[in-house]
Order: sequence, then structure tokens, then C-alpha cells
Amino acid sequence: MRSFGKNIIIAFQSLFLNKLRSALTMLGIIIGVGAVVAVMSIGTGAQASVIDSIQGIGSNLIIIMPGGSDDDMGALNQFTSANKESLKLQDIDAIKKHSRYVDGIIPVILSAAPVTYKDKGSNVSIYASSEEAVGVYNFEIDTGKFFSKSDIANSSNVAVLGKTIKNKLFSNEDPLGKSIKIFGKNFKVIGTVKSKGANTFGQDQDNTIAIPVTTAMNKLYGQNYLNLIIAKTAEEKNLNLASEEITRILRKQHNIKSGQKNDFSIENQTEILNALSAVTNIFTIAISGIAAISLLVGGIGIMNIMLVSVTERTREIGIRKAIGAKNRDILTQFLTESVVLSLTGGLMGIIFALVISLLLNKYSPILTSVSFSSIALAISFSTFVRLFFGIYPAMRAARLNPIEALRFE
Amino acid sequence: MTDEFIIKIENIFKTYKIGDIEVRALRGVDLQIIKGEFIAIMGPSGSGKSTLMNILGCLDIPDSGKYFLENIEVGKLNDNHLANIRNMKVGFVFQTFNLLSRLNTFQNVELPTIYTKTKLKNRKLVINQYIESVGLKGKEKNKPNELSGGERQRVAIARALINDPAIILADEPTGNLDSRTGEEIMAIFQKLNKQGKTIILVTHELDIARHTQRIIYLRDGLIIKQERIENPVMADEILSKMPKLEDRISVLK
Ligand SMILES: Nc1ncnc2c1ncn2[C@@H]1O[C@H](COP(=O)(O)OP(=O)(O)OP(=O)(O)O)[C@@H](O)[C@H]1O
Ligand SMILES: [Mg+2]
Repeated sequence: MRSFGKNIIIAFQSLFLNKLRSALTMLGIIIGVGAVVAVMSIGTGAQASVIDSIQGIGSNLIIIMPGGSDDDMGALNQFTSANKESLKLQDIDAIKKHSRYVDGIIPVILSAAPVTYKDKGSNVSIYASSEEAVGVYNFEIDTGKFFSKSDIANSSNVAVLGKTIKNKLFSNEDPLGKSIKIFGKNFKVIGTVKSKGANTFGQDQDNTIAIPVTTAMNKLYGQNYLNLIIAKTAEEKNLNLASEEITRILRKQHNIKSGQKNDFSIENQTEILNALSAVTNIFTIAISGIAAISLLVGGIGIMNIMLVSVTERTREIGIRKAIGAKNRDILTQFLTESVVLSLTGGLMGIIFALVISLLLNKYSPILTSVSFSSIALAISFSTFVRLFFGIYPAMRAARLNPIEALRFE
Repeated sequence: MTDEFIIKIENIFKTYKIGDIEVRALRGVDLQIIKGEFIAIMGPSGSGKSTLMNILGCLDIPDSGKYFLENIEVGKLNDNHLANIRNMKVGFVFQTFNLLSRLNTFQNVELPTIYTKTKLKNRKLVINQYIESVGLKGKEKNKPNELSGGERQRVAIARALINDPAIILADEPTGNLDSRTGEEIMAIFQKLNKQGKTIILVTHELDIARHTQRIIYLRDGLIIKQERIENPVMADEILSKMPKLEDRISVLK
């Protein structure tokens, strides 16, 4: 057996002596690997920014939703379950009273409503909650103040504006103390919050008005139930303990007998992150699939070049065999050429992808992040494709009878 | 035992098939060659000379018959053994040179050593020595297309010699060369023969064949006649008498 090093030398020599052919073959790999890594970087970039924006809210949140979670679709259940009125303000008091792990807890009612100021109007998301929302939901006050405990107690008609709606209604005017109409009812603007920007799904998080939850319940909608309860633990490691505790408290509060199902469901941040990651994973897998197909097509192109090059090189194979090359030697030569091509091509493809992803990050709104796993995937896949498509022509070449090969003109 | 014969073939047949047509290239050839012999094979075109040489060089396998090379029956060897024989025991010189066009002289001569199990000692030195011995010193870096026909044939001969094989097989080595260059190639072969190599060459020219010790005549795939040459022509003598082309031109001036 000849040494591995010798094979590499022969392969490099042969690749170098056929620059154009090598370059063409390599181009296929560069584009294939580059496409896979670049496309996957967009996927992982999207995933990272989803996770980022969720963790921006706080990584130690527990979300309690009405309706049982008797199947895996817990989060979606609130839209389908009949029992969407199970969460009450009293539940919050009960949890506050009995829980050891919960550090902060807020009621949430989400809705959309028409808002007007003088002659200007718009549709906004109404975020009805309690004074604790500032701490739990990371609202940052820009001007004025957030509503207070007494605003909640009195169901005051006060509103805190997000940046977008503030600009829409007031442009340069100072909104503080002004009166706006939500669903035709007067609300006094007492504060504005800092911009949170668009979330991962492109929704404007600043086209929002926060009002006291009691005002929403009593004066706007006449409802006695909540859409969500968001609780917070002091430490992330207590999330699961807190979830269990809340479940116990709420079951008691709702008079649920043992054996009966919950009329609410609890998810904590980790579970939500997992669920969202699953979604973005599917997205990543889908685009990776497209990239893989392009790699495959590229691979077939490579096989074509290999086949042609074998035909072109039949005389070379004949000569090599005539002077003592074994089938194995020819095979290793072609395979080594294959591997060398795919490794160098792969490397260049990765560099190409890094450049693309850098440019995208810099000059486009798309966030990208090149992950090690995408590089590993692209390299192993391209090597596999190369080997797979390299083996067949190489075997064909190796099996040639030296005389037949030599007669080839 | 058949000790004295380095090559011995018995009743070799080889038939080529192209569609329905069968070409019986060899129809029962027997031949014994003693170690150190210098032999020419002659015969009309299509008589089976190349076919026979290819079989002797283990480039091709006969349909039937036996081939003993140094008392080893070649027909019983596998592909890898045959490759080893081609690599170590026989050096093949083709009419069409069969050099790798992208490699230079040095690399072409080096090629067989790449496929050799044991590493050649002082490889570079040995390769350069062989290049020098065929008169190509200074042309180590030339690619085949930068060499004349005669020079290419010398590269091919150096390549055939590099692993020091006992047998040299040359299929019309002078066929593409002018008479002086052909004579120079024959001088190299005679020198090698003197050093103990067994040489078999195919030629169409009786003048070339007379440089050897024995001529074998083939016709229609059969050996029809053998002839001993009592006083082989010495290429060196002819060359010394043959004026060089430039000399003749200068005489004309
Ligand atoms: N690969 C092949 N396929 C079919 N027929 C072949 C093949 N090789 C040789 N032949 C036929 O076998 C016969 C002998 O061919 P061979 O090449 O041995 O002749 P040769 O004596 O070397 O002729 P030349 O002096 O022209 O080189 C010829 O009729 C030729 O057509
Ligand atoms: Mg011939």
C-alpha cells in the first residue's frame, strides 16, 4: 500500500494540472455549500431573534391561560376551548397570597380598539393590565407615569401610549394630560413608554395603549374574566416549582376535584421558547431542504464533470495501469481528487457564505447567524455527495482494461 | 523445469469480437525466450504482433494457452499481481509513446516508482541518471509537447527502465522516427541488452530487426518462421558512419 500522503500529492498534482476542470467542479461545491450555510444562517438568525425578543420580555415568566390543556396544543386551546372565562382577578389575589415562588403577577386583557384624538383616529392594541405590568412586562416609562394601584382600584380612565400611536395621534404635541377616546370613551393620557420596536413577526409593539385592567373589564367590555395571567419568579430555576404551585392554588380556587381536568393551562418561558424554536426549526429545515436539493443538483453536475473527466482521462488511466497502477491506485487517486476538491471547495463555500451573511446583516433587515452545525452539515453533505458521485466514475475508471484504455483516442 | 526460459508461451489464442465478426488475432502461438536474448518480431499489419506483445506485457490476457514468466504461470495471477509485473518485471515501450502530456520528463520517468511498494533509494538521483542515460540531460522540465518524437521515445524508454525490469518490450519503438533517430534508439537497446536485459521489439523494418539476435515472423496469428542473426548490426558503428544531418548540410555549402 502506498502512503496516504502520496495519494494526496498525486491528486493535488492532477488537480493543479487541470486547473479549469478543477475550478469548474469546485464552483459547484462552493455554490452548493455557500447556499446551504447562507440559507441556514438566515434560518438560525430568525430563530435567534425570536428567542431574543421573547427573552427580552424576561426569561422567568409563567403564562396562565384559560381553558384546559388536555392535548399538546395548550397554547392554542384558549381559542378553541369553551371555557375561556375561567381566569378571574380573584385568582391573582389567591396566588399572591399563597405562593412562595411567585414574585410578581399581572392580569392581562388583550384587544384591539379604535382610538381617536380630536380629528385623528387609528386602531391600536389595547393592553389592559395592572400597575405591576411595568416590572413584569418590562415597560419603560418615557414621559409621565404608568397607572397606579389606585387607578386600578378606581377603574380610572387613564392611558399610557406606545411610541407609534403617540406619534400618530399627537405628532409633536405633548400628549400628557390630553384626552383621547377609546371605543368612544374618554381616557386621560398620563404617560408614554419607550419604543420596543417590531417583534420577530414584524408586528409593531409600539402601536399599543396600556390601560388599567379594571377599566377594561368594567367600562369597556363589561367582562369579569381575564385573557391571561402572567406571573414572574424571582429566579429562573424556580419556574417549574412555581408552575406546580400555581396549578395547586388555582385548582383549589376553582374548586376542581381531584381527577377532574384543569380549566386553565400553564406554560412557562422555557416551554414557549421550545414551542417557538420548533416552529423556526421547521422553517430552517424547509430552507435547508431547498439548499440540500441545490447541493444534490450540484452533485449531479459534479458527477457529470467526473464522468467526462474519466472519459477524457481514459488514456491517462490506461498509461498509469500499463506501468503498474493497481485498480485500487486509480480509485484512490480519483477519490482523493474528489475529497480534496470538496474540502477546498467546501471551505471556500463557507467563506462565501460568511461574506453573504455579513452583508445581509449589515445592509438588509434580515438577521443572520452562521451556526457551526450548518457548516458541519454542509461540509459533510457535500463530501458525501462528492464521494457518492465520485465513487461511480472512479470505479468505472479503475475497472478499465489497460489496453482498452490505451486504445481510446 | 524450464529454468533457462525467462518467457515461455504455449498455444496462445486470442480472438477479438466486434459484433458478430470474430477476429482471430492469435491462433496458437508457442514461443520460448532465453534470459538476455534480443528478439525482433516481424510480420504484416494485422498479423497479431501487438496482440502478442500486449499479452507478453501482461496488458492483456489470452483466451487460452499458457504463459510462464520467470516460471510463474501468469494466467493464474490476479489483477494486483499483474499490475506488479507491469510495474517491476517488464518495461513497455509503445509506438505512440504514451506519455502523460501534462507531466514533464522527470515526472513521466518517475511515474512507475509511484506505484512501487518499496521506496526507491535516492529516487531523484536515480531518475536523473536514467534521464541522462537516454541522452535527455537538460530536458527534465520539458513537457512531451516540447520534445521531438525521438526525445519522447527516450523518455518512454527511461520510464520503462526506471524500476530496473528484466524484460523490455517495445512495440514499433522506431516506427515514428527518422532513420538516424531510430538508429540511436537501437543503440540504447543494444546497450541495455549488453547489460543483461531481455528485449523483444516489434518492427516493420528489416534493417531494424537485423540489430537483434533472432527474428520471429508472424502471419495471421501464427509464427511462420524464425531466423537467427549470426552477426547483428551494431547501431554504434552505423551511427559513427552516418553523417549527422547538419554535417551533410554543411558539406553541401
Ligand atoms: N481491440 C480490438 N478489437 C478488435 N479487433 C482487434 C483489436 N485489437 C486488434 N484487433 C485485430 O486483431 C488483429 C491483430 O491486431 P494487432 O494489433 O495485433 O496487429 P499488428 O500485427 O500489431 O498490426 P500492425 O503492424 O498494423 O500494428 C487485427 O486484425 C486487428 O484488427
Ligand atoms: Mg501493432
